[in-house]
Amino acid sequence: MPKIAVVRRDLPPTLSAVVRLGVALAGIGIAILSISVILGVDAWTVTERVVGTFLRPDMIRYLIVFLPVGLGLAVAYHARLWNLGAEGQIVMGAVAAAYVALFTPLGEIRVVGPLAALLAASLAGALWALLPGILRAYLNVNEAITTLMMNYVAYSLCNYLVYGPWRGRRVYGYPETDLIPDASKLQWVHGYSFSPWSLVIAIAFVPVIYLFLYKTRIGTALRGYGSNPAAVELSGLSGTRLIILAFFVSGALAGLVGGNEILMYHRKLVPGEKIGAGMGFVSIMVAWLADLNPALMPLSAYYVSALHYLRMVMQVGELTEPVARFFIGLVFMLLLVSIFVSKYKVVIRK
Amino acid sequence: MALISLVGITKRFGSVVALDNVSLSVESGEILGVLGENGSGKSTLTKIIYGVYVPDSGYIELRTDGLMRRAFFSSPKEALLNGIVMISQRPQLVEELSVLDNIALFHGYSRGRTRKIIESTMSRFNIKLNADALVGSLSYTEKQLVELVKALSFKPRLLILDEATTYLPRDVKARFYEALRTFASIGGSVIFITHKIPEALEICDRIAVLRRGRLVRIFSRKDAVSIDDLRKAMFEEVSPSVATERVEEARAEGGEVLRAEGLVVLDDYGKRAVSIDELVVERGSVHAVVGVAGNGQKELCEGLSGLRKAVEGRVVLDGEDVTRSRASERASKGLVYIPEDPFRTGVVLDLTIMENIRLFATDRLSSDTVKKVISELRISPPEPRIKSYMLSGGNLQKLSLSRALLLNPKCIIVHNPTRMLDEASSRQVKLLLRDSAHKGVGVLLVSEDIDEVIDVADKISVIANGRIVKTLLAMHPRLREEIEEAMSTYA
Repeated sequence: MPKIAVVRRDLPPTLSAVVRLGVALAGIGIAILSISVILGVDAWTVTERVVGTFLRPDMIRYLIVFLPVGLGLAVAYHARLWNLGAEGQIVMGAVAAAYVALFTPLGEIRVVGPLAALLAASLAGALWALLPGILRAYLNVNEAITTLMMNYVAYSLCNYLVYGPWRGRRVYGYPETDLIPDASKLQWVHGYSFSPWSLVIAIAFVPVIYLFLYKTRIGTALRGYGSNPAAVELSGLSGTRLIILAFFVSGALAGLVGGNEILMYHRKLVPGEKIGAGMGFVSIMVAWLADLNPALMPLSAYYVSALHYLRMVMQVGELTEPVARFFIGLVFMLLLVSIFVSKYKVVIRK
Repeated sequence: MALISLVGITKRFGSVVALDNVSLSVESGEILGVLGENGSGKSTLTKIIYGVYVPDSGYIELRTDGLMRRAFFSSPKEALLNGIVMISQRPQLVEELSVLDNIALFHGYSRGRTRKIIESTMSRFNIKLNADALVGSLSYTEKQLVELVKALSFKPRLLILDEATTYLPRDVKARFYEALRTFASIGGSVIFITHKIPEALEICDRIAVLRRGRLVRIFSRKDAVSIDDLRKAMFEEVSPSVATERVEEARAEGGEVLRAEGLVVLDDYGKRAVSIDELVVERGSVHAVVGVAGNGQKELCEGLSGLRKAVEGRVVLDGEDVTRSRASERASKGLVYIPEDPFRTGVVLDLTIMENIRLFATDRLSSDTVKKVISELRISPPEPRIKSYMLSGGNLQKLSLSRALLLNPKCIIVHNPTRMLDEASSRQVKLLLRDSAHKGVGVLLVSEDIDEVIDVADKISVIANGRIVKTLLAMHPRLREEIEEAMSTYA
């Protein structure tokens, strides 16, 4: 009787990427087919909608969020530091950017205003991540729990501001601030809700983080720290500093995105749950889908952004919200299969 | 009568050929040695038999119900079900459980039944162990004995030992061998993997020599094999005597580079493992600390290097008190520590060879420099871009040793540097230590190997129960006798 067994394999990185990309694409095909079969919707209609979403630039608005946050998380995850606090770091970035835009004279100055606001946002996100980082580095406090809890602290802090001292005078009692000055706004590409500058910044971080992680000694040490802290320490690099750096970088990128959300999208500070909107958590998936590889992050961010956007638009006719959710669930499940396929193979022997 | 046959086994890891068309069979009741230098494919071979790796081509035949049948194991569990058990160089035990629970876990039997099995195994093979002791509290040697009992109590048909006895003290090794001979005498087969020629000669009926993934020759005990025959087969050439040329010329300006005073270090359980009144390493010389394993050597190294806190006393590096500095600071100030276990503390397994080497150097190294380091240390395979976890233990150890070349040390602390290495590599490492001393570096060699210590050191201290009990100069006429005496008196 032939014997079937599952064994591990080590595909070269490029081939692994190709396999996973292939399965990801096939996954969408399978998802489309099953939807049309199960619900009796014309396959062509579904295909049109899905392909349309992937090709429409609207989803870039989400890419601008997922890409930098995913890159930042990859830095922490490479060192096996479980920063689950991107959501809160985004919110704190947003708070800082709103503060600079609304309550400092800088907000009225073109170019300088947005730059200052984004800088403040990055710093705020970094500092928000630094607290769990320091607790982890010096007292070995589990960072997964602290970063997670800091998310809710950030929500509450932001909500306190928008319900309380920062509530706008022209918002009819809504829990939000007034609009930020025009000088601070990042202008949209005509017809879409994203700014070209934000996109440029997001993409610029891809090579930066890649080179940092793979071409510098500190980056290499970070990647090695998770599996063998002693070896890194004995090479003369302080583990404490590496931990703090990893948290700082991942927090700064999330904070930057939060600031950008205010300047580019909301144009005012809204309750924390609306700013983060769970995107800080989705970014965790973006980071892992790319296998924590910064070079693959744009692809993974693109894929996730398109599906995220799809959920918003695929609500016409029979293609209701639940169907869209079902569709995305199916796609992600197939993606898991692709990870399995790239790491294991099935052998049959007589 | 053959029990198991490997037929034309080939295994590649990326571009590296670990095994090239190897065919080999083991008879019932035979102890077959597999001998080879570091990275020759020994471990890969066992992992294929044990179902950890699947060969790219070739197959295994196993005697089942009296007939040779093709067997294919895709996991160690399947190998176990076919009566194959492996003991490796690192104990595979759950530290938090007792010996009894560990073995019960392995068998899947109840505690009561397991206790009976353990007792009968221990009396049959003449091994003494406390079955209720917590594994975490046992020494390495005792853990290996637990592994032996665990394996033998399974009543295997084939027992594989992958460098399992290499690091054991001589007396325990003898007990191990005795158990293996008893096992073979009742019809069991043994595959005995080692890179130590005397070990292979002592215990094996036949010795298969691997070199760079190929089977060179199988020697039989009857053929009156000599060490040189085996050495020639292993390394292609007969390397000159292992003893390194002692450098007797005047050394660079002396003076102390590392000093420990009243140093007290605790072990993992909070017990006092080291308490040293004074230990001084001088520039341009090799100071060895020798002792029976488990006498505080690891804690001493970690206390000096900063991986472990000193609870009392101080450590002075080149005139500067570094007692409060962390390991990374001490390393960047020139105190380089090469730990004995490259897997856990020496090398980052997830990084490539090149990345590890670059990690060790403060300046960015060109890829040519990296290649030079690799060829200088003869790391095999010499491919800078492969992940370190693909290297064999000995080659990992060499990679870990490259720190000594790269970090610009003032003082190097090495713990059992050659334990995992074959003769040629050991010799090279000893030369490297001598060479470093010649360049004015202070070397502290912490080792359990008396021969090695006598070979390289200028000054030798004996450690027992965490204390330095005797210090001798290398010129001492009765050096070996004095060391052995001190080791046995205080142990």
